[in-house]
Amino acid sequence: MIRFTRRGLLATAALAAPSIVGAQGAALRLGVLTPLTGAGSFDGPRMLKAMQAVTNDINGAGGILGRKIELVVEDDETNPEAAVRAAHKLVDVDKVPVIMGTWASAVTTAVAPVCWESKTFLTTVSGADSITHLPHQGYLIRTQPNNQLQATKHAEFIIRHGSKRMFILAIQAPFAEPTRKYLTEMLTPHGVTVAGSLIYDKDKTSYRSEVDQALKAKPDLLYLNGYAPDVAVVLRDLYRAGYDGDRFCQSYALTAKALEELPKEVTQGVYTVQPSADVDSAAYAAAAKRLGIATPDSYEAQATDWISIVALTIAKAGDATGTAIRDSVRKITNSDGVKVYTAVDGLAALKQGKEIKYSGASGPCTFTDIGDISDCKFRYNRVENGAFKYLEVS
Amino acid sequence: MIAYLTAMAISAGIYALLALGVNLTWGMAGMVNLGLAGFFAVGGYVSAMLTKAGVAIPLGIAAGALAAAATGAGVALITARLRADYLAIVTLGFSESVRIAAANEIWLTNGSDGIAGIPGPWRGTLPPQQFNLVFLIIVVAVLIVTFVLLQRLVHSPFGRVLRAIRDDEDVAGVAGKYVLAFKVKAFAVGAAVLGVAGALYAHETSFVAPDLFAPLLTLNIILALVAGGVGNNAGAVIGAVLIVVLLEGTRFIAPLLPFLAPAQIAAVRELLVSGLLLVILRVLPAGIVPEKIST
Repeated sequence: MIRFTRRGLLATAALAAPSIVGAQGAALRLGVLTPLTGAGSFDGPRMLKAMQAVTNDINGAGGILGRKIELVVEDDETNPEAAVRAAHKLVDVDKVPVIMGTWASAVTTAVAPVCWESKTFLTTVSGADSITHLPHQGYLIRTQPNNQLQATKHAEFIIRHGSKRMFILAIQAPFAEPTRKYLTEMLTPHGVTVAGSLIYDKDKTSYRSEVDQALKAKPDLLYLNGYAPDVAVVLRDLYRAGYDGDRFCQSYALTAKALEELPKEVTQGVYTVQPSADVDSAAYAAAAKRLGIATPDSYEAQATDWISIVALTIAKAGDATGTAIRDSVRKITNSDGVKVYTAVDGLAALKQGKEIKYSGASGPCTFTDIGDISDCKFRYNRVENGAFKYLEVS
Repeated sequence: MIAYLTAMAISAGIYALLALGVNLTWGMAGMVNLGLAGFFAVGGYVSAMLTKAGVAIPLGIAAGALAAAATGAGVALITARLRADYLAIVTLGFSESVRIAAANEIWLTNGSDGIAGIPGPWRGTLPPQQFNLVFLIIVVAVLIVTFVLLQRLVHSPFGRVLRAIRDDEDVAGVAGKYVLAFKVKAFAVGAAVLGVAGALYAHETSFVAPDLFAPLLTLNIILALVAGGVGNNAGAVIGAVLIVVLLEGTRFIAPLLPFLAPAQIAAVRELLVSGLLLVILRVLPAGIVPEKIST
């Protein structure tokens, strides 16, 4: 039989009190699933760092809903099978309301059903158009522009640039064929001939035969739609073949690290493009300062935006569940409220009862109904003497 | 936590089926099969495409198994004259060929986008947690049936001939056994088991894509079999469970190493898994459950 004494009750209350206070202040756990090993291991850790930096800022300013944010990090190993296991751990053990950071399209497509079935929100950089068409019920947003938006903007640059004859060398990936299609549709009416295209397999040590085939078409511009490892090989082979025309690729395919490793002659004059905020965007400047990097790349900017959007949405909804994030995210991203450029400023404005619109480091961050961004600027660089030289943002 | 354990038990069950399939060709018949991801893919893709077209799931799985078996027989015929290392290289090449074909034949497989939205048994009508539980029961049932059938095979005259071929092909031939036919049959049956595993995986995750069938999976299964004990079905199952426990268990070391960055922890995990396997093989060279050699 249990006997209640006044002293006993007091003691119990005294013991329980800190744990109740502790429960109110218990950290809010948010999931991060980026590639830390495998093909994505160059971008994954940097995206994670960007999210950690914003988290530190938010926690420094008092957290959200009176709680500190704690990021629970798992490695997706750039492999769909391993990523699904990791996602199950985040969802079922850590009970996170959101998973941020999937990178490869196959990984995102594999992880997405785990997320929407468990009502967990997913934010991604994967570019395959098919991803936002999955039956995700709103539990997914993508900050990376889809193929159509990218190809349209690239085509506008190529037309302005004055190229006349283009050849496309692309890696076997989900974006290869749609990008070719959109580019051809956009360029042909403006007098730019797409002289041909070919798709190559990844991880080859030489692309000499592909390069020979491309050069037979006598292009004055090569559109290199690949990843960093293969584009480095292609650029070398182009140099060896004596090609002196223009080359155009995504910034993730020619990274700062690759510039250090490749001879200057090989990379001289290559044009790179990345989705970008306005150069004078306050959010981008804040991200650069926070990370201590002069020009954060597109992935770092997008990761900055995910954690900021998620934190602001949770604060706005007053509830940290995946469904609350899904239902309220557009009140932060698609609203007509006061523009804010960092999570901390946004949280302060929300506290004052203001409506806010988060405008991000990667772009305006306005989402369509299926979770794609509706518009985005692009930043163009040209490699000069082994370093990126800023050309324009448009 | 229960939901997580259920999902991981399903993974372990599918790994166990894969290890059993490889054990039949490698452990019993002595033919190293590094092409397991290829047969896994054939089973997964065939069942995915058929069930998306409206075929019932059990029929889809059966068709996946048959397609994998037919592919297995074909590979066995092509590689009839190859042994040991050479066979290993060619079968690895086969699985890469399947992966690259799946990435390029967009009209058939939807290319590197993969096939999403594959139906699962009562998916959508059951809540996710119960779906997982039902799926676990299905996987365990299939695993038990496969295990019992393969055990019977071990003790049958067919199994004895396979072991004779493994130990000395020429002697088996001299004894009047038609070696090639036995090899083809062993490869076909082993591939069928791999195909079933692939089909089950496709229906569980609802998604197949070429990237799923990368060599990493092959490596995990071969390690499972070596650690568990090549030539022993119980060893194959135990090894598969062990691999999943190691892969998943190492996730939980992160809180113990707060001074390391997550990318370093990811590397430590890989180091731990390989280190533990090395220790197992150093202490138990024939695996955890060595094959019983009956005289």
